[in-house]
Amino acid sequence: MLDTVDIPRSRARRGLIDRFNLEIREHMPLEQQLLVVIGGVVVGLAISSLLLVAAGVSLPDVYDEFVVEIFTNPRNISSVLDYASPLVVVGLSAAMAFKARFWNIGIEGQLIFGGIGATVVANYDIGPPFLRLALMAVFAILFGMAWMALPLFLKLKLQINEIISTLLMNYIAFDFLLHLLYGPWKDPASGFPNSKLYDGFEQLPMLGWQDLNLAAVFALVLVAGFAWLLGVSRFGFLLRFVHSNPRMARAMGVRIGVFTLVAALASAGLAGFGGFVISAGIAGRLTQSFFVGYGFSGILIGFLARNNPVGVVLFSLLISILMVAGQSLQVFYQIPFAMVQLMQAIIVICVAASEFFIRHRLRFVA
Amino acid sequence: MDFLINWLANIPSFATPFALAALGLIICEKSGILNLGAEGYMLISAMAGAGAMLTFGQHPFLALAVAALAAAALSLIFGFLVIVLRVNQVISGLTIIFFAQGTSQLISTIQGWTNESFTGLGTMRFGPLSDIPAIGKIVFQQDLIVYLAIALFFVTNWVLNSTNIGLRLRSVGENPEAADAAGVSIGLYRFGAVIAGGLLMGLAGGYLSVVVSKIWVDGMSGGRGWIAIALVIFARWRPFVALGGAVLFGCIEALIPRMAASGWELPQYFVLMLPYAVTLAVMVWTSLSGRAGSGQPGALGQPFVREERR
Repeated sequence: MLDTVDIPRSRARRGLIDRFNLEIREHMPLEQQLLVVIGGVVVGLAISSLLLVAAGVSLPDVYDEFVVEIFTNPRNISSVLDYASPLVVVGLSAAMAFKARFWNIGIEGQLIFGGIGATVVANYDIGPPFLRLALMAVFAILFGMAWMALPLFLKLKLQINEIISTLLMNYIAFDFLLHLLYGPWKDPASGFPNSKLYDGFEQLPMLGWQDLNLAAVFALVLVAGFAWLLGVSRFGFLLRFVHSNPRMARAMGVRIGVFTLVAALASAGLAGFGGFVISAGIAGRLTQSFFVGYGFSGILIGFLARNNPVGVVLFSLLISILMVAGQSLQVFYQIPFAMVQLMQAIIVICVAASEFFIRHRLRFVA
Repeated sequence: MDFLINWLANIPSFATPFALAALGLIICEKSGILNLGAEGYMLISAMAGAGAMLTFGQHPFLALAVAALAAAALSLIFGFLVIVLRVNQVISGLTIIFFAQGTSQLISTIQGWTNESFTGLGTMRFGPLSDIPAIGKIVFQQDLIVYLAIALFFVTNWVLNSTNIGLRLRSVGENPEAADAAGVSIGLYRFGAVIAGGLLMGLAGGYLSVVVSKIWVDGMSGGRGWIAIALVIFARWRPFVALGGAVLFGCIEALIPRMAASGWELPQYFVLMLPYAVTLAVMVWTSLSGRAGSGQPGALGQPFVREERR
C-alpha cells in the first residue's frame, strides 16, 4: 500500500535538473575523443581572443599576431621551435612520472638543478672543450635526478606524499640558486646576479636556419625514444599496466615500486636535461629566472597531452606559439606577458571540461 | 632592546597572511579537496583589494571585502573544475594559479593600478593600553585584521571540532562514501569548504596589498601561498598548530630585513630555505613516529563519483 503511493509521488517531485542523469561512459572511439579535445582547444582559443579584444587589441590584429606573423615569418617559426623544445622535454618529464602515477610537482626544482649541473661543468671548465657540451648534459641529468632522490626515497620507504615533498624541494632549489647567483657565481664582469656567459663551445650549436638550435633535434629524439619506451618495450607495457590498474598489477606480482623508481628518476633526469637545454640553448648562462614558466607549463602539457608523446609535441608548439605572440603583444599593445599564462589556464579549463564529456554522458530521464 | 621590540611588534603583520591562508586551506582540505591554488587566490585578491582602494577611496574594510569576494569568485571556478567536472585537483590548482597570475596582471595593467600607492589600513589604538612600554607596542598597536584573524581561528576550530557542520565536513573529507550513504551532500559541503577557503585566502591576499604594502605590484604574493600549503602539512591540519607555524614563519620573515639592515652577515638564502626544510623534516618525523595520516583527511585529493565503485 505504502509503496504504490510512494513511487508516483517521488516521480512527481522530480525537478528538471534531476531528470538529467549523469552516467559513466565506458568507451568513446578515439577519433571522437580527439575531436572533443580539439573542440576544447578551439573554444579556449576563442575565449582568449575575446579577452584580447576586450583588452584593446582588434580582432584582425589578434589574427595577424597569432596566425599570419607566426606562420609566415621564418624568424618567428624558428623562435616557436626554440621555445617549444624545452617545453617538449619538460612535458615528457611530466608525462613519464604521471605514467607511473607519481605526481612530480618538483619539475621546476629539477630544472633548476639541471641548470646548476650544466653550469658547474661550464664554470669550472671540466673536461676537454670538445666533450664539454656532452658533459654539461650528463651533469644536468645527474643533478636533476639527485634532486629527486630525497622525495623518491621518502615516497618508497616512508610513503610520504610526493606532491608535497617535491613541491617543497622547488623552493629549496630556488633559494640555493639565488645563493649561488648572488654569491660565488655572480658574474665578475658585470656584477649582475647571473653566472658568467658560457664559452661558445658550451652553448648549443645552431642548425644553420634562422636561430634554430640543436635543442629541436634533442626534443625530437626524446619524443621518439619516449614513444618507443612506452609503446613498444616490455617496460612500457608493464608501466601501462601499472598505470591503468595498480591493484591488479600488484596482485599479478608486478613490483610497482621498481616502476615508480625508474619513472620518477627518468622524469627528473628529463627535467634536469631541460634545464641544460634552456640555459645552454636560450640564455647561454644561468640566470635567476631561466626556469620560470617551464616547470608548471610542463605539468599542464603532460595533462593536456594525456601523457602521449605526440600530444606533448603538439601542445608544446601551441604554448610556444602563445609565448612568441605574447611577446609581440607585450611590445606593440602593452598586453602583459602574463596573458600567456591566462590563455594556458583557459585552454586547460576548456580541455578539462571537454574531457568530462569523454568520460561521462548526460542522459535525459523522462 | 629596541631591536627586539620592533621585531616582535612587526611579527603579527608578517604572520597574518600566512595564518589566514593556512586556515582557509585547512577548511578546504578537511573536505577532501587538495587546493594548490593558494598563491592564485592571494594574487587575485591582493590586486582586487588595491583596485578597490584606488577606485572607491579610503575604505579599507570595503577593499578587504572586495578582495575576499574576488578570491571567492575564483574558488567557484576551482570548485566547478574539481567538484562538478572532477578534474584532477593538482592540475586544477596549478591552473588556478596561472589563471590568477594572468588575470591580475591584465586587469591591473589595463586599469593602471600597478605601482600606485594608497593610504591603506592603519593600526588600532586602545587608549592608555597602547602606551604601556614594550607590551603596548607589541600587543595593542596592531591593525584590526590581526585581532580578527585570531578570532577566526577560534571560530573555525570550534566549527570544525564541535559542531554538526564540522563533523559532516570532516566526514566528507575522511570517507565520502560513508558520508554520502549517511545522507550528507558531498557536493554541497565541498563547495562550501572551497568557497570558505577562498574567502579566507582572499582576506590574506587583500591584507598583503591593503594593509601591509599599501600598493599593488605584479606577483606580490611572492610564494606566500605555497608557504601556507607547507604550513598546513607542518601543522597536520590542526588550526592552532598552523597559527603557531604562521607566527614562526612571520618571525623568520620579519627577522631577515632587520638583520640585513643592522649589518649582520648571514647566509640569508639558507635562512629562507629553513621553513621548507623544517616542513620536510616534520613530514619525516610524523611518518617515522607512526602517526602518518593521523592528520591528513583520508580522501584528500580524490574526486567523489557516486556512480563509480572504488
